[in-house]
Amino acid sequence: MFFQHFTNGLTLGGIYALIALGYTMVYGILKFINFAHGDILMVGAYIGMFSFNFFRGDAPLGAWTFFSFVLAMIVSAAFCAFLGMFIERVAYKPLRHASRLAPLLSAIGVSFILSNGAAWLWGTQSKKFDYPFDNTPLMIGGVAITPHQILILVVSLILMVVLKLFVDRTRLGKAMRATSLDQDTALLMGINVNQVISLTFAIGSALAAIGGILIAFDYKCYPTLGMMTGLKAFVAAVAGGIGNITGAMLGGILLGLLETFGVAILGIPMGYKDTIAFAILILILLVKPEGLLGKREKEKV
Amino acid sequence: MRGKKLVLILAVMLVASLSLFAQASSDSDSYKIGFIGPLTGDNSAYGVFCRQAAELAVNQANANGGIDGKMIELIAEDSEGSVERGLAAIEKLSSSDNIVALVGPVLTGTAFAVGERCQNEGIPMISPSATHADITNIGDYIFRTIVSDGLQGQVAGTYFYDVLGYRNIGCLYVMNDYSKGLYDGMKAAFEAKGGTVSAVETGNVGDKDFRTQLTNLKNSNVEAIYIPNYTVEMAQMLEQAAQVGITVPFLSCDGFSNPDIYALAGDFTDGVIYVAPAPAKESDLHTKFVSEYEAAFNMSPDSFATNAYDATNIIIEAMRSAGTDRAAVRDEIAATKDFVGASGVINFAPNGDLVAYQAIYKVEGTTPVYQGSYSVDADGNLVQVD
Repeated sequence: MFFQHFTNGLTLGGIYALIALGYTMVYGILKFINFAHGDILMVGAYIGMFSFNFFRGDAPLGAWTFFSFVLAMIVSAAFCAFLGMFIERVAYKPLRHASRLAPLLSAIGVSFILSNGAAWLWGTQSKKFDYPFDNTPLMIGGVAITPHQILILVVSLILMVVLKLFVDRTRLGKAMRATSLDQDTALLMGINVNQVISLTFAIGSALAAIGGILIAFDYKCYPTLGMMTGLKAFVAAVAGGIGNITGAMLGGILLGLLETFGVAILGIPMGYKDTIAFAILILILLVKPEGLLGKREKEKV
Repeated sequence: MRGKKLVLILAVMLVASLSLFAQASSDSDSYKIGFIGPLTGDNSAYGVFCRQAAELAVNQANANGGIDGKMIELIAEDSEGSVERGLAAIEKLSSSDNIVALVGPVLTGTAFAVGERCQNEGIPMISPSATHADITNIGDYIFRTIVSDGLQGQVAGTYFYDVLGYRNIGCLYVMNDYSKGLYDGMKAAFEAKGGTVSAVETGNVGDKDFRTQLTNLKNSNVEAIYIPNYTVEMAQMLEQAAQVGITVPFLSCDGFSNPDIYALAGDFTDGVIYVAPAPAKESDLHTKFVSEYEAAFNMSPDSFATNAYDATNIIIEAMRSAGTDRAAVRDEIAATKDFVGASGVINFAPNGDLVAYQAIYKVEGTTPVYQGSYSVDADGNLVQVD
């Protein structure tokens, strides 16, 4: 029972973490919340589903379907990376020196355009995203775990490690960190700040696309898919300390576990699971307003 | 300069709105029927099927010369399945469109709110699909061409106990009027017989992940699990139940009669037993309706659409003798006697409920197989009628 809830919570958290990374990276660099992030996730899920169905054709489950799924993930991630960069160029960049609220409103506008556009293009009903493999659960010591859950854990773990290495160990990662610390100084040091910002949006959106695909197997594809999932991931990013990449991962996993556990342990009806999870997050923020791993920022005078 | 412009704009708007009112009042004796249902969103399949059926009935009446040579107009509004949008829709239909009667709302939650409004305004309302036992209790202007959940829940609870032989079952329902109503009705009947509903889990509207609830149910050793919900939710539940390793059978409700369930969760529907309104007898009228519907919309009607078709025709017949007076139309509807519709012979009980039976289906693969029709007598005994 305990391990079953733990497995379910961990996989849910893995997806939240993947999406939270996008919020946190953009915030780290631009100090702005990209509210369209959840809708990019939704677009990623649709593109993934369409390209999977296209590559797969009529093939029965097997190596080919899995290969087409990997292809579909790459196509969708690439598409969303470009979409993210495009949105940044069109809707956020012109407002970079405007008041801080302007890009926020612009982001909310983009979010509506994406979700209504999806409803118009693809309809409002849920569409099924077929599993690329046999999803019969495996029983491991009394705990049922599906191949899909294993996939989520493996994919999100790999992506998080790769991202962490990229940011910490590469030149571009260093440029990113510098830009996040101080844009003007970074510019003086010869860093192409515009390029770094584009790259940030591309990486964040590609991760969102993969998160969207992983969650769409479970939740199906529909135009408001990104709304609740995006909100949860945003909360995870804040709880973990927004702007901090490790914090976003931690926050995501924590939220996933809280959602499944908070209720199971306290014996409160499941209908209130979000209430419990969010109440605990409020508590965390009351004790540590900057989030679990966030640094307390001193206002520059 | 700016002030003058503003005055001009206001004046134009005033004139425009006056002419609008004038039009509304001159049109008030035309035959307008309103429709409210979810035309977009996850439950849109239910709404679109019904709207098309109402459209078909109106078009057919108009092709036969309308009412005394006047055309009938159907005004369909989208509720998106929400109470707020439903209220906005009835507001528009009653005050600016001035409808004589309403077909709908399709979903139970919306029907509660809109029903109150119809009762207060004196607009006769016939829902083709809102099944909660209490809906017709709103008042004497509220009717339905679908069986009340009161009976559905009763038949379900009694059938599970008597015929299937279950003594201890679990339940997972989403917190909305429809699902809660069915759960309450089933539980009352099942426990009256002597059974226990030992594990009850709930979810929120819009939830996609039910694994925690299903894991709890799995560990509760129940003999079967009742899931009275809408299609998209049941699809999630059945698939995730297989994932957490639940092997006991699932029991369901009339929401399962929408064929979408097989598109979303076709691998997991085998063995589900569900209770739904007794099917239309294979009458000539039903066959005719199905073929006309297929010819017009290129899809087969579901049972709610059949009910919507009959509801619209009952309203049209009532308007033939009572004109556009809402109170007179209401009396005509209440007086309906042995109306031969596509869904069978229709009579209304004094409270506005349809006099009818419930059928049991067992799904084999992705095909529902009819097991018989039942009613429950005054002593709580199951009576098989077919």
